[in-house]
Amino acid sequence: MSLGRRAHRHAAWLFPAPAVLLVAAIIVYPIVYTGWMSLQEWFASSLTRPRFIGLANYGKIVLGDARFREAVARTVYFTIVAVAAETLLGVAMALLFNREFWGRGLLRTLAILPMVATPTAIALVFVMMYHPTLGVANYLVTTVGLSPFRWTYSSDTALYALALVDVWQWTPLIMLIALAGLASLPREPYEAAHLDGASARQAFWHITLPLLRPTLVVAILFRAIDALKTFDIIFVMTQGGPANATETINLLLFNQAFSYFNMGYAASMAVALFALVMGSSLILIKVRRSTAW
Amino acid sequence: MSARRFSRRTFLGSVVAGAAAGPFVWTPARAQGFTWKRFQGKELFLLLTKHPFIDVLEKNIPEFESLSGMRVKWETLPEIQARQKMTVEMTANSGGIDAFFTSLHVEKKRFWKAGWYHPLNKFLADTSLTSPDFDWNDFTPGAKAGVTQSDGSISALAAFVDANVFFYRKDLFGPKGLTPPKTLADLEPLVQKLHAPPGTYGIVLRGLKNANATQYPSILFPMGGTYLKDGKAALDSKEQVAALEMYTRLLRQYGPPGVVNFNWYECSASFMQGQVAIYMDGVNFASQFEDAAKSRVVGKVGYAVLPSGPGGHFSPIYITGMAVSSQSASKEAAYLFTQWATNKANMIRELMAGVGVGRTSTWDSAEVKAKPKMPADWYQAYQASLKIGRQGLPEIVGVTEYRDIIGVAIQKGIEGAPAAQVLAQAQKDFQDLLNRTEG
Repeated sequence: MSLGRRAHRHAAWLFPAPAVLLVAAIIVYPIVYTGWMSLQEWFASSLTRPRFIGLANYGKIVLGDARFREAVARTVYFTIVAVAAETLLGVAMALLFNREFWGRGLLRTLAILPMVATPTAIALVFVMMYHPTLGVANYLVTTVGLSPFRWTYSSDTALYALALVDVWQWTPLIMLIALAGLASLPREPYEAAHLDGASARQAFWHITLPLLRPTLVVAILFRAIDALKTFDIIFVMTQGGPANATETINLLLFNQAFSYFNMGYAASMAVALFALVMGSSLILIKVRRSTAW
Repeated sequence: MSARRFSRRTFLGSVVAGAAAGPFVWTPARAQGFTWKRFQGKELFLLLTKHPFIDVLEKNIPEFESLSGMRVKWETLPEIQARQKMTVEMTANSGGIDAFFTSLHVEKKRFWKAGWYHPLNKFLADTSLTSPDFDWNDFTPGAKAGVTQSDGSISALAAFVDANVFFYRKDLFGPKGLTPPKTLADLEPLVQKLHAPPGTYGIVLRGLKNANATQYPSILFPMGGTYLKDGKAALDSKEQVAALEMYTRLLRQYGPPGVVNFNWYECSASFMQGQVAIYMDGVNFASQFEDAAKSRVVGKVGYAVLPSGPGGHFSPIYITGMAVSSQSASKEAAYLFTQWATNKANMIRELMAGVGVGRTSTWDSAEVKAKPKMPADWYQAYQASLKIGRQGLPEIVGVTEYRDIIGVAIQKGIEGAPAAQVLAQAQKDFQDLLNRTEG
């Protein structure tokens, strides 16, 4: 058989091979390696080699490590608070921008600007704005008659202050996706409802929201995955403090890996975070497929 | 003290051994004595850290190149990133780093246990490798102890020595006839008298976890507290409780709002903005206070030694050094660089730029005295602090993890939790850490 014919026969796997190899090298290999590392006790050093300890790391994070359990609860709570606020605001903004009014294009462009900015840069700006005595946030709060907050400088408020940054930056994403969803809605149900005498509010609850649901679930899915693994703004603004009040799984595992050099233990946390993200994504996808809310 | 293990006797011993071997073993270098040009033509790679000491040093590296005939390449990274790169390179055994700048207060035991420091004892004793004017005994006892491991091996040559000192506003102290406190007992009443919010807050100390662990010993040591007792965690002693109680109460009652998450940056900013009367921190921050472009308190700051207490008089010190990598293929050439970087001439340059060093002779050098960059009381406070210097952090493998443990306890204390309660938790976590890493 000539080379050309042989190549032709095997084209089905020959052509995708480079791409498959690349994916294997940069995606599959690190995942498998992380899984393997999570079964070792390994303090990064050139003298002590990794030691295989089976599932002991997982036993420890599930049963022994209160700091990890708190981090999981905090991660989930942060995600729920941030994504809920983003969804409410995002849909409201989408409904607003779905109407025709003068200057809509300009305002819509301005509204999505936060999304384009670099999280680290934003975080640095918010650090300055949140400063309890020198920052502009407390100045604004006091001009409307409220008493000043401690923002990220108190363990009572720090998580909310961080969620606010996330909301500020990512609400536009939900808005954009919801706007696309609104644009694709059919007109007929509205006309029928109008003829039947439905109010605008009824049309929203019984037509717009149900039709928009699949789109919204996708938007929430994107945001939830992202919020679960938020790292940059927390690392820059609070480093997990005060007193661990904002230490999410990602922050904790970063500390374990790159401050304490507990590589194996950190890897097991990374796998746990992966399971959490995967699990919540599966639930959301199921919600999207099911017919009722 | 561990530094003494590199004693005159071992030094002389190795010199004698070298001299005795001399006639029988022909080594060209030994025959010629010391020369900077010995490794002419070699190339070195250094991993450096963003640091005032390095800022001064970098400018003079070309001078070393022409002195030694070697080519020097280097990379300067922020401290945390440098440590990460170091860990990755050394774990991978790449051999790409010949010498590196090391924060001994964090890395000393971990890097030593990992085998990353090449011990310098033999090099220091070798007169063909060490310049006759290097003078190891010129380093202060604290600086020597800081670079020496528990088995006597010398891991680095001390570069920058930081000491915690007492900064205060002369313009606020003067009119009230107040002076810096002699003892911890004097400190709180003094802070109370100066506390007049929102214009002036009595005191600022670091609140942010991990960062606060380097300032806590300013109260802990004079209170009589230690980190370890007979190799076991000692965070729940009554001295610890008293110290944490005081540290957190000062900040809770007399600190600026939000101090719980203040790192040195926020602390010095509020001090330079004139919002705070007293600030205790590393002596090197002072150069900013005297910089008119950054500070509103230029010329108004007084410098003093920390107050003493029932447990004695101490200044927590933190040492960085230049080390030779155990994986370097040209260790002796790398040693020439570390030696040059910490020699008298370079240390005088550092001191003139306001960077404190642990070489006794430099403090009295005519050049420094002729052109002081800082006020006289800064030099006095610094020198006095070096004399009562004690390593500010426990010398263990898990320094960073310890700093987080005590750091969280301090933050909870500032937010009102009882000292005994937060320290009980810290004690448990710290002992757990020691069990895991020190065995």
